[in-house]
Amino acid sequence: MDRQRGARHGINTIQINRAREIHAQTVRSRIPQPTAASSTLHSHDCAPTVPRYRSNNPNNPPCAHCGTVIIPAPKATFPFEDTPSITVDDWTITTRKKPILNSQELDQWGEQLSGLTLPEMIFGNSYVQIKNEKHDLCIQFNALDALKAVKMEDSGIRVSYAHKWIKSKREQQKTSELHDSSLKIAQHYDWTYTTKYKGTHAGPEFIRDDSTELPLDKLAKPDPILFYDDMVLFEDELADNGISLLNVKVRVMHERLLILSRFFLRVDGVLFRVFDTRVYVDFHENKVIREYKEHEGEYNAILAKHKMVHSHDPKAVLRDSNWVAQQLPLVKRECEVLELNKDSEPKCEENP
Amino acid sequence: MKLDDTIDSLRQGKHIPEETVYSLCLKSQELLMNEANVTHVDTPVTICGDIHGQLHDLLTLFDKSGGIEKNRYIFLGDFVDRGFYSLESFLLLLCYKLRYPDRITMIRGNHETRQITKVYGFYDEIVRKYGNSNVWRYCCEVFDYLSLGAIINDRIFCVHGGLSPDVTTINQIRSIDRKQEVPHEGAMCDLLWSDPDDVDTWSLSPRGAGFLFGRNEVEQFLHKNKFELIARAHQLVMEGYKEMFDGGLVTVWSAPNYCYRCGNVAAVLRVEDDLDRNYMIFEAVQAQDGVGNAIIPTKKPQMDYFL
Repeated sequence: MDRQRGARHGINTIQINRAREIHAQTVRSRIPQPTAASSTLHSHDCAPTVPRYRSNNPNNPPCAHCGTVIIPAPKATFPFEDTPSITVDDWTITTRKKPILNSQELDQWGEQLSGLTLPEMIFGNSYVQIKNEKHDLCIQFNALDALKAVKMEDSGIRVSYAHKWIKSKREQQKTSELHDSSLKIAQHYDWTYTTKYKGTHAGPEFIRDDSTELPLDKLAKPDPILFYDDMVLFEDELADNGISLLNVKVRVMHERLLILSRFFLRVDGVLFRVFDTRVYVDFHENKVIREYKEHEGEYNAILAKHKMVHSHDPKAVLRDSNWVAQQLPLVKRECEVLELNKDSEPKCEENP
Repeated sequence: MKLDDTIDSLRQGKHIPEETVYSLCLKSQELLMNEANVTHVDTPVTICGDIHGQLHDLLTLFDKSGGIEKNRYIFLGDFVDRGFYSLESFLLLLCYKLRYPDRITMIRGNHETRQITKVYGFYDEIVRKYGNSNVWRYCCEVFDYLSLGAIINDRIFCVHGGLSPDVTTINQIRSIDRKQEVPHEGAMCDLLWSDPDDVDTWSLSPRGAGFLFGRNEVEQFLHKNKFELIARAHQLVMEGYKEMFDGGLVTVWSAPNYCYRCGNVAAVLRVEDDLDRNYMIFEAVQAQDGVGNAIIPTKKPQMDYFL
């Protein structure tokens, strides 16, 4: 590998274009050709049925015979701005992954989100979207709407050493010219970027029904995953005082799909928050369930639970939102249901 | 120890024996110990921002900007954490420093501390590569000796984070006892942590600790010290650099495709003898070399049955 590097001086545009070309070739070459040889390309049973879904995800090409998406896909993924999607019955699931916002976009967002100092990384052109054309229903998860839900007021949360810091500054003030106003917070926004975002929703309304539960038994089944994506919408390290992260995952199976949008907050020495929105769609019943949960707990209480389990690296697990979520007390839960009539005109039904 | 051999190994990302790291760190400390808190540097010089363990991009940086053999460099800190090659990146810079002492100035960033490296990757990397944390400890000792700033031709002030209300003149930086872990408050802390923002005066960050400074503070500092520019790093910029306050302050960012997923380009700022500013932009290396071997161990999106 050093031989390669020695031969070139940096990377020029031609090399980048070449790399992109190679990627396109790789993607094209992964799509199986309808020849006799193609059966050796993947090892699933080609059932002679008409597929219920169509996918253009280059990373998981469909079988040329039966249309079934090949999983696992052939090697190598370069996420070069493709917008993969899959259609199952009336449902189309689309994801897009793009780089962080550039300065021009940041300026525009700064105007739209006036007063908010934007998080360090915003994947503002990325999203996860599900759409039902027949019922004009669209649910999208994107960074802009998530940040619009950040409160423009003091969160009351302070970093662990804030008290000590201010005290020492007050001491210092006696001998320096530091003004009182400099020890006041000039900007009023929630610096933890806590968002109760449940997705951006257009179309028929959900009906609140907290008694509904997600069908965990069905979701726990290892049904083949036809389409999968996982992306960060925004992230900030809170000036190395922890992390604030909004992440969205989606998995589509034959009969159902699940989206998990998770806001994860760790303020070191202070607290944890995990706010989850799950969107579940049953393709057969044309039923959508949206569940929203807030978990929150004190930092030290969670750390104490962890010490009993592991001992060598106490901090590693604090980055694992799954582990943290399991330890945190549930503060709030809401559930909504939307049933779309499959055959007749679009209309909302009351959940029985 | 043969310095040139070690440099070769580092450039190839090869494992460096613990004893070699120990002796490198010791020698670097001796060298850095004699540097002032603020070093003076002459033009022409190339100013580089955050590296964050992206060794292969650091090599691109040197390739594209002429190389250490013929050029002077100032690194504004944050050599470690986040990337997969924090150790190699930091050691490479130390080796260059030992090999060409007058061609490279290393300024301390907020990630060059024990506390931060324990959380953001460097500590884990060392334990993964060596099975124990000795090497991490040696490196942290070196962190304590890194300088806090640099001045180019008495006209450009270089620092990792930004200004401090406790620092109106450079002499106030000179009087800091820098050979310690970065404290949670005070001038040393502010220089490594503070951020420019749209504020009218020094103001407290909403986090409850740390300062924000605005145009007025920058203009006063420049005027008082007869500077024309503050060059700092510390904040990710999609375009690699960002000038603010009518060119009185610039943020330089030198880690392309930060964390291997942000898609940003990187930049270095070359300052000529007449103080002309030239930004050199570069992109991230590809994750694989020409024959398909992984250079960067990219995290493949793994499908999981999340609930």
